[in-house]
Amino acid sequence: MAQLLDIVTTAAILYAVAAGLLIVFGVMKIINFAHGGFLTVGGYSALIVTRLGWNPWWSLAFALVVGMICGAIVERLVMRPLYARPLDAILATWGLGIVVGQVITLEFGREVQFVQSPVSGAMAILGESYSQYRLILVVLAVALAAALGLVLNGTTLGLRTRAVIMNENLARGLGINSGLVRFATFSIGSGLAALAGALITPLSSVDPNMGVPWLVNAFMLVLVSGMSLLSLALSCLVLGGAQVLVSTYGNPVAGGLTIVVLAALILRFRPQGFARE
Amino acid sequence: MSKAPERAAALPAVLGAGAARRVDTRGLLLGSGVALALVAIGPLVLPDFMVNNLIRAFLYAAVALTVDVLWGYTGVLTFGQSAFFGIGVYAVGLIFTHLGFGLEYAALAFAAAVVGAVVVALLVGWLAFYHGASPLYASVVTLVLPIVVTQLLYSGGTFTGSSSGLSGFDSFQIELNTWFWIAGAYLVVVTAGTWLFVRSDAGRVLVAIRENEPRCEYLGLDVSRVKTLLLAGSAVVASIAGYMFASVQMVVAPEYAGFVFGTELVIWVALGGRGTLIGPVIGTLLIDVSTAYLSGNLPFLWKLVIGVTFVLVILAAPEGIGPLAGRLLRGGRRDRAAAEAPELRPSAVAAAAAAGAAAALEVRSVRKRFGSLLVLDGIDFTARRGELLSLVGPNGAGKTTLLRCIADGGERSGGDIAVNGRSIERRPPHECVGLGVGRKFQNANIFDALTVAETIRIAHARVDRPSLWSRAAVLDLPQAALRVMQATGLDQQLGARVRHLSHGQKQALELAMVLSLEPRVLLLDEPTAGLTKAERTLIGQILVDLARGHDLCIVLVEHDLDFVREISSRVIVLHQGRIVLDGTVAEVVDSETVRTIYSGVRA
Repeated sequence: MAQLLDIVTTAAILYAVAAGLLIVFGVMKIINFAHGGFLTVGGYSALIVTRLGWNPWWSLAFALVVGMICGAIVERLVMRPLYARPLDAILATWGLGIVVGQVITLEFGREVQFVQSPVSGAMAILGESYSQYRLILVVLAVALAAALGLVLNGTTLGLRTRAVIMNENLARGLGINSGLVRFATFSIGSGLAALAGALITPLSSVDPNMGVPWLVNAFMLVLVSGMSLLSLALSCLVLGGAQVLVSTYGNPVAGGLTIVVLAALILRFRPQGFARE
Repeated sequence: MSKAPERAAALPAVLGAGAARRVDTRGLLLGSGVALALVAIGPLVLPDFMVNNLIRAFLYAAVALTVDVLWGYTGVLTFGQSAFFGIGVYAVGLIFTHLGFGLEYAALAFAAAVVGAVVVALLVGWLAFYHGASPLYASVVTLVLPIVVTQLLYSGGTFTGSSSGLSGFDSFQIELNTWFWIAGAYLVVVTAGTWLFVRSDAGRVLVAIRENEPRCEYLGLDVSRVKTLLLAGSAVVASIAGYMFASVQMVVAPEYAGFVFGTELVIWVALGGRGTLIGPVIGTLLIDVSTAYLSGNLPFLWKLVIGVTFVLVILAAPEGIGPLAGRLLRGGRRDRAAAEAPELRPSAVAAAAAAGAAAALEVRSVRKRFGSLLVLDGIDFTARRGELLSLVGPNGAGKTTLLRCIADGGERSGGDIAVNGRSIERRPPHECVGLGVGRKFQNANIFDALTVAETIRIAHARVDRPSLWSRAAVLDLPQAALRVMQATGLDQQLGARVRHLSHGQKQALELAMVLSLEPRVLLLDEPTAGLTKAERTLIGQILVDLARGHDLCIVLVEHDLDFVREISSRVIVLHQGRIVLDGTVAEVVDSETVRTIYSGVRA
């Protein structure tokens, strides 16, 4: 039973981390390797909130806003010239990740630090005593998925975004400002990365390189999912579940490799991954 | 060149090239000599700290060169060369720690480093470079590789030393100065070897793969195999560097196999100048040595500077700092004089006598569906040698799809296709070329960065294996290809870059490329689109001659019914995925059906 909870909560965490990367990949067809950097920014935003002595829940909103501002600046200065060069965009965003890591190191030092958790302790569920915060993460991830679904399917921006995802040239021809859609997408994607960073820090700690391991897993999940938020949920459940099972019954090192190795093999034999087409 | 003096006058650049090539090699010898001399005096004049740092930088630079060949020349962005370096490092660490040091163990470790690197590279190649793999997927696999290797090292307990690595083992009793000479000589030899390799005929194939991979496959090149072998070769170079590194330092750690080191290699190559050799070498040496000096005082600031510079270079000068500086010094000119070109010679083998009595092309109830849409529905026909068969029909009738199904066994959803009596089964394009299929694409589909001669050479690489270290002075060409070249004046422009050719010349060049494959079945998709009237007539004449004189079976997709009428011996009309008419020109072109389908088009 505890494993079932582990699987669901792990999938929720992975989903929160990968969602921002997925929407950027979907709209821009670009892998944003600065995602790990923005995640770290979110973690340190939570640290600032802790230091200021605010209620820890504020760290979520604060991280989201800081991430979106960083994303907006990066989109204007760095991403725009790289839309036609997707492999170079990987490199430039990786370089940005380094820059973010070093700026944070210069400002906050390289040591591991801890943030205050909004809730602590365990609660009883399904006959188990389980971390309350991990359970709240599941609720938040579902809320995040619902919100993204609503934005994409219920707003004009969402409609335009879907048009750009399907056929950017046609969308432009129909008068959609695809530059604006890209700008909004990248800002929101970066904001979500920072939000995810703030969400996961109470579970562990913050350090300037905290984003890298998450980045690699999120990247593999996005490649396996294609463009859909639903198939992302599916891959988080399947691969995250496999990770939990391998860590429990095999060894933790193999568990840490589960997602990348499984994803690489899935793509080898089914290049479209979990996407339908 | 001697047979045409008037041509010589028109081609000073080409004639000068023979000499230029010797000068180039002399430049290589001179450069290597100077580099070796610098390496020889280095330890005598440099402080110990610097000697130590440069040994490491030399070995890193050799690994950076392998990244450059894979990424800069072949277009495979790799984050995984660190893993191969790590294999060499751990071959030394594990064997010297657990078995002890001795010459026989040193040899064993060397063998383990080489074999281990090759085995892993073949595995990675199988995974990353399968037919149809996207470039992004290949990069992903090279990213996964170092992650897997380091995690395995972490989990190895006392055997691999886990996160702290292995140290305190005995190694070669060689002085630091001598190691400096060994590592320096290794870098010079690797650089010079790579220099020869990328300039050889085989090296041009790498650039062709970078420029246009599908075209290479349709020229009969097994791109997956080329990339896998290249990866294996570069893995060995990196692994040997790792072997030396661990032997000098006598300490090994998982970081040397890691993903972060893999990305650092990419950064050094990008800053130094991908697609050049001296750039990545100098870049690696400068950055690695400065890092050693600066990391004491301003470790984070220095890394920040590297990160910012890297982003700026990718944004503003993707070719790298080395080439950028070179361009500024030369006053803004990007390209040097036209490249050298070999002499063309008709190939000795006459068009092989058509073997057997089998039809050139048999298409049996071929179907193709995209999802629920049936694009080809039960296509049946047989074409003989010497036949010039035109496929006509409105847009979306399935003409191009049909050609694609004939040239790539993996395309069709059902039915069977045989070329010269042999079924194409599910063979990928490069194997279909081996059966005798040659395909010309709708839009001239060539390699912009190469010259005309290099392009033709690559088209001929399937028949005539290119050399790994030199350029052939003579280029044997089938008569038909030579004719196309001569008729369109391309034989006068062998040293010209393809991107500078006119549209008509590009179309002709692609036709000559396909003819260089010596196909038995020639598939042409709108070969005259965008050509002038004169060019069209010329191509038409050549096609008729090819079908009659060389006994080729030509299948042509064409919209221009006048052109079809002039040259075809048979016409098939496709409409909504089915054959609606099949007969001679007179029977088909003037028929009522065609008029209805093409209503409004002249008939």
